[in-house]
Amino acid sequence: MTKYVIESDKIGTVGEEFIPVEGINVDALLEGGFISTASEAKAHKVKPEAPKE
Amino acid sequence: MATSTYLSNPLVTINAVDLTDQCTAATLTKTVEALESTAFGGVARVYVGGLQANEVTLTMYNSFATTETYATLSGLVGTSTNITIKPTSAATSATNPIFTITGAYLESLPIVNASLGELDTIDLTFQGGTYSVAIV
Repeated sequence: MTKYVIESDKIGTVGEEFIPVEGINVDALLEGGFISTASEAKAHKVKPEAPKE
Repeated sequence: MATSTYLSNPLVTINAVDLTDQCTAATLTKTVEALESTAFGGVARVYVGGLQANEVTLTMYNSFATTETYATLSGLVGTSTNITIKPTSAATSATNPIFTITGAYLESLPIVNASLGELDTIDLTFQGGTYSVAIV
């Protein structure tokens, strides 16, 4: 799922996540520079160590 | 005693963007279409409510600066979005409700409305959408 970050104080606090409600045109906000996409950081998979014998 | 509301500091957002400082006039009209249901035997025309046909008209200063009028509106032409209007910027309450049109359609956007010696202003009309009002 795409996350959005606020880039303009006209829609909220800059730097905070923008969660669009129903009816909001996200493409227009991206085009106008009001928000940007933030790629989610993938969690690193930790491979469990094999038990020592 | 008659009372009136003096809109000196209302809140206007278009597509979640606060454009209060560019707006000089706002009209939100809630309409429910009248469907005639008069039948034989009736002595007067009678109607029942049909679909909502709401409309918002706004007068705004045009600005091509970053994240201002043009940047907000250019991507909305031919699409639907949300409009909110609140009498004052104070907290939402029973005496300061927030009116919302969800899914209002913007058919056209005046790009330039220039006259010598005057500020560039544009009139917008958003059509349709669902009306709601919240007091909290």
